[in-house]
Amino acid sequence: MKNGFRQSMAWLHTWTGLLVGWLLLLIFMAGTASYYREEISRWMRPELPATTVSTDVAAERAVHYLQEHAGHAETWFVTLPDPRNPAMRMFWRNPESMVKPPVEGERRRRGGGRFGDATVDPNTGDKLEARETRGGEFFYRLHFDLHYIPVLWARYLVGFCAMFMLVAIITGVITHKKIFKDFFTFRKDKGLRSWLDFHNVSAVMALPYHAMITYTGIVTLMVMYLPWGIKAAYPTDEDAFFSEAFGGMPEVSAPAEGRAAPLPIQQLLDSARTHWKGVDVSGFSVAHPGAANAVIDIRQRDGRRLSVDTPALRYDMVTGTLLMESPASGAATATRGVMYGLHLARFADWGLRALFFLSGLTGCLMVASGVVLWAVKERPKHAKSGRIGFGLRLVDALNIGAVAGLPIAFASYFWGNRLLPLQLPERADAEVSVFFYAWGAALLAAFIWPKRLMWTWQLYLGAALFALLPLLNALTTHAHLGVTIPAGDWILAGFDLVMLAFGAMLAMCGWRMQRWTPPLSAAEKKKRAAAAAGGSAVPIEAKA
Amino acid sequence: MMLLALGLSFSAFTALSLAMEKHQLDLHGKQAAPVSRRRQWSGLGWVLLGAAFGLSVVDHGWAMGPVLWLGTMTIAGLLLAFGLYPWKPRWIAPLALALPALGLVAALV
Repeated sequence: MKNGFRQSMAWLHTWTGLLVGWLLLLIFMAGTASYYREEISRWMRPELPATTVSTDVAAERAVHYLQEHAGHAETWFVTLPDPRNPAMRMFWRNPESMVKPPVEGERRRRGGGRFGDATVDPNTGDKLEARETRGGEFFYRLHFDLHYIPVLWARYLVGFCAMFMLVAIITGVITHKKIFKDFFTFRKDKGLRSWLDFHNVSAVMALPYHAMITYTGIVTLMVMYLPWGIKAAYPTDEDAFFSEAFGGMPEVSAPAEGRAAPLPIQQLLDSARTHWKGVDVSGFSVAHPGAANAVIDIRQRDGRRLSVDTPALRYDMVTGTLLMESPASGAATATRGVMYGLHLARFADWGLRALFFLSGLTGCLMVASGVVLWAVKERPKHAKSGRIGFGLRLVDALNIGAVAGLPIAFASYFWGNRLLPLQLPERADAEVSVFFYAWGAALLAAFIWPKRLMWTWQLYLGAALFALLPLLNALTTHAHLGVTIPAGDWILAGFDLVMLAFGAMLAMCGWRMQRWTPPLSAAEKKKRAAAAAGGSAVPIEAKA
Repeated sequence: MMLLALGLSFSAFTALSLAMEKHQLDLHGKQAAPVSRRRQWSGLGWVLLGAAFGLSVVDHGWAMGPVLWLGTMTIAGLLLAFGLYPWKPRWIAPLALALPALGLVAALV
């Protein structure tokens, strides 16, 4: 090897990081937002009322609604309200005999009309009419499915980025010679030095998080990335692997002929709570509702375990006997469950969730400072030769379009939610289009004119979009800060306040970018010093 | 409890940074503490980190406690390195005393 070990690692770190940096930034930002996807969804449907009833009352209303509107369904699936999500989501599967053939010219529904769904107000038991939006779900999907490209490709692409990220983390730690000496060191106003310090500190302080989130991210899709083990062990029937490894409850047998009245839902939920020593339920599903052999699977609420695998209990809905408990998983499945759980952080209470969110933001800053660092390091070479080369110009444009452009896209998505007409057909998709139009415009502008002023403009635009969001919210809805703070609704108020904070931070970045002056080279400094001493400032000034 | 853990992590990192010569120079210039004193700071820092760990585990259990502990260290470290050392070094010592106290009050109330 011509170079030393550390130099080769530095080389690897630079190029793995740069190659995937921009897409990685999108993935990191969408993933960080996903920690609050329930809260984002709630803010994006300001019509939803706050829940004032207990879980039991809500469950009873859910059953009542389903008996009325989906009495003949094969299965019901209900998610009960919780403090983060006030509405009840439910869907059901109709028997095959009930499915009408698709009407010519009408848009075919998902599942060919076999599935019905409703969002129900737990306070009244009526169907809720809220604006059509994908809410925080969009960011969650964007995080690993991207958009506009087939899901399979997207997941391979995201996995590729994650693998490169893992390489960048490991090589970064090897390259960072003074990881402990510079643990708290950030030297401001020092050009390249400051960028390097910033990149280092944002990486080192959240290193456990970065390593965990990248590794567990790959684990979430491991079966897709490495299918060969399963192919070898289960050559004919892959489903057998999935039901053996991750399968919770087995399928329920066919419905019985007779009909029987089920027990009150409270009684069933109470038995589950007693069984779990007080841990609450998050929802339930019913197979063959109304039949004599109806069974109910009750799911445990998150918050007491790291693993993503949700324990469940199956009861006979007519007699109330406990039929089975979700099987305990083997060591490998449990390990995967915990890693998956750590990645999603569904267990997190408000404080832990905030720590995950802040660590995620630190990750965004690390990736952003990394790609900027490349350009800062490269610039003097180009400045010496007098013209900006193609590579640097490309990186500059992508940096502006991603680092400054993505915040614009995120904020625009929220603006779209408030400004698009409520009756617009395909409204949820239109909101998503707003995100990509805004990002596309930012990228295009950055490619046309990748200069420092473009940085400033885009950062200021992002700042304005975020900071004015609470104002827009106040003008278009009745769920604004003037209402939510007195009511103590800290989920909605928190969203607005965080938007204000983002606006302030972006404005600060824009302001620093605007005021920044290029540092003088050593030769230039010497010239100026000589000029000041000799009193012949004029010709040198003219030259500069 | 969570705020107390955060406060303790902050104090711990403050102590550990004061155990480093360059940060002694940042804060105290010519009155930088001698090596023996810096060794004491380092000891205090590790003890406080241990206390924050114990508290996190007591409060959140063995599964989530360590996650909480790492998270508080991340935030405390970022606050010191990006916020206080470059911009407001004089606030560090008072905050290192005040934050655990505030956390204790929040935990007891």
